[in-house]
Amino acid sequence: MADATWLNVMLLLPVAGVALLLALPSLKEDAIRAVALVVTLAQFVIGGALYLRFDAATVGLQFATHIAWIPAWGVQYAIGLDGYNVLLVLLTVFLGPLVVAGAFSAIRKDLKFFYCMVLLLQFAMLGAFVAQDLFLFYLFWETMMIPMFLIIGIWGGERRIYATFKFVLYTAFGSILMLAAIIYLVYMLQSPSGELSFAFADLTRARLPRPVQLTLLSAFALSFAIKMPMVPLHTWLPQAHVEAPTAGSVILAGVLLKMGSYGFMKLGFPLFPDATRQLTPLFMSLAVVSIIYGACLALVQNDIKKIIAYSSISHLGYVMLGLISLDIIGIQGAVIQMVSHGLTAGGLFLMVGMIYERCHTRELAAYGGLARALPIYSVFFMVLTLASIGLPTTSGFTGEFLVLLGTATTGWRQYQDGAVFPLLMSAAAVAGVVLSALYMLRFAKSFLFGPEKLPHAPVMDLVWREKLILGAIVAAVFALGLFPDGPMRKSELAAQEFRALILVPRMPR
Amino acid sequence: MNWLTIATALASENILLLGIVVLLLVEIVVSRPRGATTLALFFVAAAACAAVLLYATGYVAHPFPGEFSTDPESSLAKSVVLALALPVLLLSRDDFGNNVPYHVLLLSSLYGACLLLSADSFLTVFLGLELLSLPVYVLVLMAHGHARTRSLEAALKYLVLGGTATATFLLAVALLYGGSGSLSLSSFTAAMVVPDPMAIAALILLMIAFFIKAAVVPFHAWAPDAYEGASVPVTAFMATIVKAAILLAVLRIVGAAPLSGTLVDAFAILPLASIVWGNLAAMRQTSFRRMIAYSSIAHAGFLYYALLGDGPGRYQAVLFYVVVYGLMNLLAFAGLPRGSDDASRDRLDRLAGLFHRDRFGALMIGIAMLSLAGIPPLPGFIAKFLVFKNVMAAGYTTYAVLGLVGSYLGIYFYLRVIQLMFMSPGEAAAGARQDRGAAVVTSLVCLIPVLLLAVFPGWVIGRV
Repeated sequence: MADATWLNVMLLLPVAGVALLLALPSLKEDAIRAVALVVTLAQFVIGGALYLRFDAATVGLQFATHIAWIPAWGVQYAIGLDGYNVLLVLLTVFLGPLVVAGAFSAIRKDLKFFYCMVLLLQFAMLGAFVAQDLFLFYLFWETMMIPMFLIIGIWGGERRIYATFKFVLYTAFGSILMLAAIIYLVYMLQSPSGELSFAFADLTRARLPRPVQLTLLSAFALSFAIKMPMVPLHTWLPQAHVEAPTAGSVILAGVLLKMGSYGFMKLGFPLFPDATRQLTPLFMSLAVVSIIYGACLALVQNDIKKIIAYSSISHLGYVMLGLISLDIIGIQGAVIQMVSHGLTAGGLFLMVGMIYERCHTRELAAYGGLARALPIYSVFFMVLTLASIGLPTTSGFTGEFLVLLGTATTGWRQYQDGAVFPLLMSAAAVAGVVLSALYMLRFAKSFLFGPEKLPHAPVMDLVWREKLILGAIVAAVFALGLFPDGPMRKSELAAQEFRALILVPRMPR
Repeated sequence: MNWLTIATALASENILLLGIVVLLLVEIVVSRPRGATTLALFFVAAAACAAVLLYATGYVAHPFPGEFSTDPESSLAKSVVLALALPVLLLSRDDFGNNVPYHVLLLSSLYGACLLLSADSFLTVFLGLELLSLPVYVLVLMAHGHARTRSLEAALKYLVLGGTATATFLLAVALLYGGSGSLSLSSFTAAMVVPDPMAIAALILLMIAFFIKAAVVPFHAWAPDAYEGASVPVTAFMATIVKAAILLAVLRIVGAAPLSGTLVDAFAILPLASIVWGNLAAMRQTSFRRMIAYSSIAHAGFLYYALLGDGPGRYQAVLFYVVVYGLMNLLAFAGLPRGSDDASRDRLDRLAGLFHRDRFGALMIGIAMLSLAGIPPLPGFIAKFLVFKNVMAAGYTTYAVLGLVGSYLGIYFYLRVIQLMFMSPGEAAAGARQDRGAAVVTSLVCLIPVLLLAVFPGWVIGRV
């Protein structure tokens, strides 16, 4: 089979999985778990193979499929891999089996429906990443909302209904304005040529007047910034994370939040370059505010899930900062940071889930001295904590360092031209690194060390399934920290293209 | 007059008429008639097939010149309305399976719808409109169970407001006739362009009449009561068939004529108010049918919005919307759990925990709600997209954005139904499993086209 076919197979496998699950009787729980695991593992194998075969030296789409879907509107079923999405697709299929396996013991209620929703979510997220047609992208983008709504709402904690509605109402509001902007954009671009097209390639080629760009960018940015989330649109995130079951939190932190930054990178900024250049200071300030504010909030939380939730806001601030630095190193750093955050935050949420299953509380003060009681757990936890802080040799370091380097380079260059603001911002962002060490080490200190406190003691240390899951994540964290060269090369051309699209003025049509 | 032309051009109408006669004969001859639904199903299906056939062959005829004509557009509209009636009939099997008058009324109403969709003059429109509505007043009265008084009130309200709509309509037609000396629909589209005070007055009255019929704010107040008072299949009939027929008729009257400045605002502001108010009011309902009534008020707004678009796009948008909206409503009604009587079946909180009692029903209602909310990838989204795409393409960006924001308001109450069914603990499973054969068949009849539309929307959109 051709590689393009395999990409389609990977995308559609979860749908087949859902069909298979629906055919299974609800009582055969082991069979249901097995089907979900096999489907996600198969996706990972295909995704991994595609990643290896992805040619870093080729510009543009690879493994592309173009099929006319709604010919009357020029909508295509267009998917493919490029430097923008290849790492995120890999991240998604990597986390898939871990999420499924991680939920083996945690989810007891409506098992079949749960795995159906996880697979549907997997389908929608991958679809949003690989879509190369705005209409298709929007379909997948919106489809993600429903399984997540149900996952939080059905299997979540006490205040799950409130949390899930907040999540949906926030994201849906962003999406509805984005939809208006999409329709307007497509029709604006249609008028000169007469041809209706939703293809990304056609849309980025055109250029709109700046006021229109500003309006449309605000609509897109609102949607992406809510998803990401950026301060001040972040208030849905802590609740959603806290109330979601472990699997929901992992998917949310690991992949779903990246949708926002991916949207900025693939659509928001390249589609409206003039507006982006004009709004750079705004985005930069919001990014820095997210970094600092998220970190400060993480510092004072007593719920362990909330600490990681707020740290996500801080970490995704770096992604935004890297993207908007418009420096090759910074952009690549942003991509690495996305993957790295997916791994560390995903891993930490899994670990929180594991301890919650044993001790039934998320109160930080209830724990202490885990290092003695649960040595294996503690080792994994410490590694992920350090990766989250950004210790060298871990993925967190690669991402944050590159982002800061890129931002500082741009800042310095602009300082020489007389602008102080970008340099100030990059300096302020460095403070985030210190803060992240502060809140993560505070967390680790009272969690792992000090006098031993353990609700529902004695509890068992990790079982082999959990070790395997965490081992995979830790291995990936180190791989990305020690050998970032390969992944960076795969995204390099895309980073250059992204920069060129925004910085190089194009001829109006 | 050519009898053969009349037989062919009025094929659907004739089959329905035959059905009515046969049903009446059965009522007279058989002492305790059974299987009325099956008979009615057969005739409606045959009528729908006839309409599809006429559409497929591109049949054009004017059996009564200037009054009634058959063309592919009208045949397609008829086949949609008749096909939507099939699940309604399936739904009524449990409550009205052996009730012959019920089916006679239903078929008469469908006959009116067909007449309406083929009308060339306001005389035929009037006939069709009345024939469509009059049986429904009686149908509302035929409540299943113990809710007699409430359905009496509902029917009366519906009748009074329906009568007002008729009077307004007649006045409009009289003014139009006074101005142009003609009753034909084409004279109306001509009058729309000319800024003649009499024509404008006629236009506004006509618009009000159809706004009342479709329950657009501020002429909507009858709908929640009528929907709640009627029994479930009748509510389904009103929410889908009647609404679809009215909107398709408006489309036939307005045609592809361009809307002038002030008209545009009238056609945008009231439907916009309808969208916003319908969605807001639906949030606080405790009865499923009242909620659906408010939701249908909002959807009437979307449907009228489609008229803002350019001529050729209107037909496509309204037709697609009507099909999707109708199927979704029917799917929701088919999934409703059966209750001891209509009122208890209707309470929203009875849906709590439905997922644990009746998975199939809960999933069906869930899909219907998501689609009505316009959430992709379900076809409700494509329908909404089609409407707003046309509005935006016609240059009414502000109205499009406001309409979309209005549709956002609806998400909450549709999702609340899902929350109730899936996330709330419900009462314990109610004893023995009920026979849900008819409901399951109905759901499948609705679900399969929905899924096809979701996966291959291009297949339909390219054609119409």
